[in-house]
Amino acid sequence: MQEIIIGIGVTALAGALAAVAGAAEDTESNIGSQGDPNSQVQLAPQMGYTHRIYNKAVSGEPPAYTLWVTLACGIAWAFIMLHVNAVLAIIFGTVLATFVQGIYATTAYLGRTASLSKFGQPVFIDVLKSVTTVTMGHAFVAIFTTVTACYLMSTVLNHPFALPLLGIVWGLALGAAGSATGNPYYGKERQYQNQKFGAGVPISASGNIVRYAEAGQRSSIDNGFFTAKLGGPASGLCFGLIVFFELWRTVLFEHTWNGWGAVAVGVVIILLFAIIDRYVEKWARKNYGPYTAEA
Amino acid sequence: MSAIAAKPAGNAGAFQPVASVIAIILAVIFIGAAYFLGNSGILAGGAMLPVTTLVGIIVGAALIAFGVHFVPVGGAPAAMGQSPGIATGVAMLATGAGLAGLFGGAWAASLGFGVALAGGAIGGGLMMAITCLMVNISYVYGMGIPAASGKVEKDPITGDSQAEYKSQGTEGHGLPFISYVGGVIGGLFGGLGGTLIYIELLEFYNASFSAANMEGFSSLAVGLAGIFAIGMFLVIAVLSAYNITGTIEGPHDPKFKRFPRAIIAAICASGICGLVALLAVAIL
Amino acid sequence: MSVKVEASHDGIPHNKVMAMGLVLALVSLYIAVAGSYAGYDYLAFFGGIAAVGALIWGNSTIKKLCSYGIGTGVPSAGMLAFGSGVIAMLFAAKLAAINPFIVPIAGLIIALIVGLILGWISNSVLNMKIPVMTRSIAELAAVGCLALMGLTVVAIGGLGFDQLTTYTIPILGLTVELYAFSYIATGIIAVSFMLGAIALQHPFNACLGPGEKQDRTNMLTIECGFLSMIVMAVISFAFIDMIAAWISLIIALIGWYWSYKKYFALSKRDAAAWLDAKPFSDAEE
Repeated sequence: MQEIIIGIGVTALAGALAAVAGAAEDTESNIGSQGDPNSQVQLAPQMGYTHRIYNKAVSGEPPAYTLWVTLACGIAWAFIMLHVNAVLAIIFGTVLATFVQGIYATTAYLGRTASLSKFGQPVFIDVLKSVTTVTMGHAFVAIFTTVTACYLMSTVLNHPFALPLLGIVWGLALGAAGSATGNPYYGKERQYQNQKFGAGVPISASGNIVRYAEAGQRSSIDNGFFTAKLGGPASGLCFGLIVFFELWRTVLFEHTWNGWGAVAVGVVIILLFAIIDRYVEKWARKNYGPYTAEA
Repeated sequence: MSAIAAKPAGNAGAFQPVASVIAIILAVIFIGAAYFLGNSGILAGGAMLPVTTLVGIIVGAALIAFGVHFVPVGGAPAAMGQSPGIATGVAMLATGAGLAGLFGGAWAASLGFGVALAGGAIGGGLMMAITCLMVNISYVYGMGIPAASGKVEKDPITGDSQAEYKSQGTEGHGLPFISYVGGVIGGLFGGLGGTLIYIELLEFYNASFSAANMEGFSSLAVGLAGIFAIGMFLVIAVLSAYNITGTIEGPHDPKFKRFPRAIIAAICASGICGLVALLAVAIL
Repeated sequence: MSVKVEASHDGIPHNKVMAMGLVLALVSLYIAVAGSYAGYDYLAFFGGIAAVGALIWGNSTIKKLCSYGIGTGVPSAGMLAFGSGVIAMLFAAKLAAINPFIVPIAGLIIALIVGLILGWISNSVLNMKIPVMTRSIAELAAVGCLALMGLTVVAIGGLGFDQLTTYTIPILGLTVELYAFSYIATGIIAVSFMLGAIALQHPFNACLGPGEKQDRTNMLTIECGFLSMIVMAVISFAFIDMIAAWISLIIALIGWYWSYKKYFALSKRDAAAWLDAKPFSDAEE
């Protein structure tokens, strides 16, 4: 019984950590302009729109976050093997992973921007200095919380995988959840704020991203506070729910019906989410209605 | 991030009968090699254990390749609400779901074969169910955009008409219910296949290490099987992504019909990768 | 999705880059293996140089392959390379039981065979019809294997299966071998895997665009290699001799700093303008 109570506590804690990680991850990727919306940042100068947006083309968010989290897990484990306190070891690992993230971010910005010289896109050193540090700060939060959640799974919940393997699994899931949920909100809603609300961006408008802020020219930091209002929390909720339900169904129902309890609960949860999704879809169709020719 | 335009080559959808037959023959040769190596004592567990392990790996890989085709992925245009699907890369999203399933499957491995496989499948499906729901929530409540498919007139499951919910100048947006179901099925298959590869390898490594009288080997077997399962998952997912060439809406997309090619490719690719993975613990 | 891939006209042809990278990687690996055979860890840093050599080769291959438009992102090629590379590397490591000196070359050959089959599958079964596909995937698998071997050597000093699977600690004057704390069982191999996979695809992906220049991309490859080596050198403190780990770390830091500075200079050379706290001027307004 006591084991289950500790398990539930750890599950709740891991879920909460994952929610923070998801929110920080999405905000980080939007400030740095990573992932799919980055294609527009890349495209804009070619269409004649010079801008001051960061161009962090490290790779998609899933592989990039897999690397940062795995890295932090591996270094943390190496320090634990050297008899360093676990909390300190995780912090060391996260610091080094954040350092690597920052270096990759600067090289991507410099590389992509320098390769656009034909279109007259300049390299902004002040953008490099201010935005890189902000993304590193958010990345630190995202990596630290994910590694801590992985550490809890490995030590308290006794998952058979070693810490870096858990890092691959949950780093990839973090990047996938964050990019899936957060990308459209940044790509459609913020980059193309000048387009109609409640409709997709027409393909003909591609490249015409918003380049001016309330005052002056928009830098990528201005994107962070916008997406932190919906895209970030939604990504956090997404990743938090994934981690929470994944652990919760196993911790509570693993011993019911020889393990089939956890499977049955999983099926019920999936059906529940499918019903919610259908409701959301129908709600949108009813309330927004079809597009009319004039709109 | 997929910065490279999807350029479907001429008759990219065509099935290649000759190459496919050669690929299947190659896979049979790999299984035969496993039988021979097991028989001659180079691989542990006698003649049959390497063969059943390799066949399990191949079945797992085929499930992964099939599952990847269900996952609705829109790539970069989806991030602008220009095309339906999830705004990320197909290989990575499928791998994310598959590894989330592998997490559940590996955890349940001690409870028996069936429970582990089911747990892995449900883990992958759960990850996709939550992700797809949050995608739709962010489209509907964040951006005021309803879901619409660009490839079909009517949603094959709900019968909802799609064309009039598609905003001007786009190919559709969000995840219609068929894409949602496709995503969950893709996650189920991915988790199932990944877990199957992991468990088959784990059993084989445990048998090999105990034959070699290595004490306290269990964490070693888990580490080896884990990294091999992840590596093989990535290979199969990337090959399937090459088959899809970038984006797919789900099971109703015409591109879905290309899946037999990917399954044959996965059978052959996992045959060679699996054989080499078995040889990594050969008794020399 | 709408970015056009325009590979630059190369100063050095691909075959020459490949030969240079291959020789650098193999020679460095052999020096490191010889050191490990003689019982010293001090030559472990040669693994990092091997990784740099392999990455230079792989970067040139990725550039050649991706200029055809493979339908999905550049990063996927890195994942494919290392997914097949890790399998080949562990089999090659097992062959150390016969002779430790055959491991690097065996890894190369096994990876090439696996890669050839995977490349043939992509090109013929999946009908991608890209002329360089088979050769490129084979090369990438070999690069994945060599780079992984290099990073592994930095972390644990050797390449034998025994070194990968055991962790030796002295307890009360006796040396005890533990499987549970080995390179593979602790999953540190996953760190090398991801470091290499991202370092392989990053240089071309980051320098993508019409103004891509070969010397700048190659400098970034070297930078990525040394950056990965820094991380493995930090991890190596848990596995190898303290002094050897410090040697690796210092060499990695020097190499990384040098290449990072050079890369900055090359970017400044190629950029349209280098502005600090100045707005862009819009031609239309």
